[in-house]
Amino acid sequence: MGVFMSVLTIASSKGGPGKTTVCQALAASLAGELRIVALDADPTQALSRWATNAYEGPPVEVLAEPDETRLAHLIASKADTADLVLVDTAGFGNRAATVAMTSADAVLVPSLSGEADVTEAEKTIRLVEGLARAARREIPVRVLLNRVRRTTLARHAAAELKAAGLPRLAATLSDLVAYGEMTYSGRLSASGQSAAEVAALIAELRELGWIPVFALQQHVIP
Amino acid sequence: MKTLKPRSSSNRPSPETALSIATAAAPNLPPTQLGSEDRPSTLNVRLRSSTVAAITSRARERGLTIKQVVCHALADAGISVAEADLEDRTPRRRG
Ligand SMILES: Nc1ncnc2c1ncn2[C@@H]1O[C@H](COP(=O)(O)OP(=O)(O)O)[C@@H](O)[C@H]1O
Ligand SMILES: [Mg+2]
Repeated sequence: MGVFMSVLTIASSKGGPGKTTVCQALAASLAGELRIVALDADPTQALSRWATNAYEGPPVEVLAEPDETRLAHLIASKADTADLVLVDTAGFGNRAATVAMTSADAVLVPSLSGEADVTEAEKTIRLVEGLARAARREIPVRVLLNRVRRTTLARHAAAELKAAGLPRLAATLSDLVAYGEMTYSGRLSASGQSAAEVAALIAELRELGWIPVFALQQHVIP
Repeated sequence: MKTLKPRSSSNRPSPETALSIATAAAPNLPPTQLGSEDRPSTLNVRLRSSTVAAITSRARERGLTIKQVVCHALADAGISVAEADLEDRTPRRRG
């Protein structure tokens, strides 16, 4: 049995804010040190196609499972054998995404900086809060501002989130070609701004206890 | 060494409980639909230049494509827009 939070669901009410990108960046960056299982609950299977066709790093187990019943069981079984289970969900509200949030130890909500985007992030957070109440357990949730281009807009978004009482990570991801390129190249560059941003994101998630600090599951990393 | 935050995995609901909570919390959500037969096709629309300019400027403002601005607005109006149409699938331009 894992003793750390080990199921991290990436969710948002709509497509586009960077769920799959964040999953890819986390999986690719952590695969060398942790046993990562990434579950692709999105029927478009962007994450699994990436894992099969583009990804080049240390092994990550990526399984596509858009069916909510099978997903619920898969999350439970993988949580016991992996250091970290990442669940990438579909943008539109559907049962698989809701099950993935309910079964999560923590939920990360990527959001762009526009006003409408912040409203969407709020919807997702309220849903997680409702699910947590129904399950009578804590499901910590944080917004991750993604594709930050203009600091003024990002500051505005951060202020809006704060005003609405929505928790967010201090870490943000900029709008960088490197993230888009990761989709094709299968790797995140080891240096530069994107690498530094992902490292800061991971450090903060570890600080929160959302990502284990070291591998607990016995496995051999080739 | 960072503080470890141990947490029993028994805190997670069983698959059955998670399923029933998820269904009860959002009874109107559809089961996940597989969109494998959702092929692309084209929709051409003639618009006044001022409309195109307004959409273009919003796209620039938000860092979205023109298609994304249109499709997100339609989705907000309650039209069921395929997720693929909400994503930016153009090759990256910025350096
Ligand atoms: N920080 C970023 N910088 C540049 N492009 C990004 C960034 N995050 C996401 N993208 C691009 O935005 C598009 C949508 O991202 P994606 O991760 O597929 O969103 P989601 O999974 O939430 O629908 C993709 O084309 C992706 O490459
Ligand atoms: Mg996605």
